[in-house]
This record gives sequence, structure tokens and C-alpha cells, in this order.
Amino acid sequence: MHVTKEFKKKTFLKQFLLGLHVSNSISNPISIQQRKNSIKLSADLAMAFARGRTHWTHALITKLGQKEENKSTLKGILGRRYEILMARYSCPLLYQKVQRRKKSVRSYRFSYNAQKRRSSALKGSCVRVSPSVVARNLENRRTKVLKRLVPGGELLNGSALLSEALDYVISLKAQVDMMKSLWRATQVSSSSNVELVPSAPLQKKDASCTIANSEE
Amino acid sequence: MSSRRSHSRHSNASRITEEEINELVSKLQMMLPDAPIRRNSRVSARKVLQETCSYIRSLHQEVDDLSEKLSELLASTDTDSAEAAILRSLLMQ
Repeated sequence: MHVTKEFKKKTFLKQFLLGLHVSNSISNPISIQQRKNSIKLSADLAMAFARGRTHWTHALITKLGQKEENKSTLKGILGRRYEILMARYSCPLLYQKVQRRKKSVRSYRFSYNAQKRRSSALKGSCVRVSPSVVARNLENRRTKVLKRLVPGGELLNGSALLSEALDYVISLKAQVDMMKSLWRATQVSSSSNVELVPSAPLQKKDASCTIANSEE
Repeated sequence: MSSRRSHSRHSNASRITEEEINELVSKLQMMLPDAPIRRNSRVSARKVLQETCSYIRSLHQEVDDLSEKLSELLASTDTDSAEAAILRSLLMQ
């Protein structure tokens, strides 16, 4: 787990930085709301990339790619990789999984089948009917909300769902911590004229730019 | 049990043992923010699930707030200084 976390920090920062850069340069003027959505998208994408290939990262990237409003930002961040990635993380795979489950479950029609349909988080996607296993298990009813919260959770059950949730919580925590420290760093540099610590030449040059800019 | 049949494709073990689930539940419990140290007495799985859900929601909310804050900051400062700050924090990690 430690190794994964180490990877995560650097990958996340690199990816997020790229996303921030794109968010900043998309189009001037841009509303704060739009920039915020773009930043959030960058953060989620960065988190997914940093974690690697898991069920929830796959589902998350798929979901992000399906939204129309995200496309321009995604293209900006991913560049040439956009087409490849979107082909990989497109709906059909999830749809196939869902179809398979539907077949095995056709004989179990219960009244809360409709409830499951309504609670599907894959709204507006190519999944048109009952999204996941209609479970008679009591545990599934209890994990209803969790399924909605964890990306791709609707397709999982039992211990798989729990381990995905655990992984997701860990990654979310890391994401929040990274964003917090980034925000603090940005805030400090923009509000004060004090030159910050590091002595490497690159730092000095940036610091003086900061001072010049913040005095404008 | 039918639930096992549906598990077969997507989980590694075809049989989900009670211990596995309990272990996962206790791990989740440890991740939650206010997990008291003396958690020898197992909290019910349902409680853990509930708290996990609300924790995930609060984390989502934090990400949302931070995105908004960052958006405002980036709007007001120069790209250069913002990226300088980001580089700085990158190197300090």
C-alpha cells in the first residue's frame, strides 16, 4: 500500500498540474463555475490515473468521459491520448457486464427491482434497463447507498464492493490532502510578498516573478 | 445461495467468507475519521457502512469546495505565480 501511495503523489500532482494549466487557459473569460468544474475534473482524473487500474477508476474515467461538458477539458489534458483513452473507457464494456447479469437474474423479479433501476448511477448512459443484480440478500439493500457513491459500485457485491469502497476512500483522502496542500501553497504565494524558502535557482526565479506579479 | 452465483464472475473467490467481510469492515472502520482507538468491540457492519457513506459524501464535498477555492485563486492570480507555487509544492513533496 505504501508503494502505491508514493506513486500516487507524484502522478497525481503531475496530472493535476496539467489539468490546472488547461483549466486556466481554456478560454478567457471563463466563469468561476466553469473553471471549478474543470478543476474538479482534473482532480478526479488525476486521482484515477494515480491509482492505476481498478474497477472504480475504470468506472470513474468512463463516467467523466461521457459528459458532454467535460470533453473540451479532457481533450486539452489528454491531447492525442484522448481518442485512445475514450475508446478504452467507453460505455460498451460496462453495458456488456450489465447485460450478462440481467440474464442470470431474469427469473428473480421482485418489487424492488424498480427501485434498483431508479438508483442506478449510470444515468443517461447506454444502460437502459435494470442495472445490476436483483439481490434477495439483505446486505445488498443495506449497501444500496454505497453502491451509488462508489464509481462502478452498482456492478459489485459483497466483499468486492467493500474492498473497492476501501480503496476509493483511501484515494479520496489522498486527493483531498493533495488539493489542500496545493491550495495552501498557491494562497501563500499569491497573498504575500515574502519569498519562500527553497534555495534552488529555479525557485528564486519563480519567487521573484511572484513578487512582481502580486504587486500589480 | 444465489448471491454466490452472481459473485463468481466478479470476485476472486467464489465463496465470500464471513471473515473476509469482517476484515474489510474493520479496515473501513479504521479509515473513518473518528475511529476511537479502543475499537475492540466490533461496531455493527451496518453502522460502518452508514459512516462510510457519509464520509465519502463529505470527502466529495471537500473536493468540491477546494475546487471552488482553487478556481477563485487561479482567477485572481497570474498563471505564472500559481504554477510557481505548484512547482514549489511539487518539489517539497
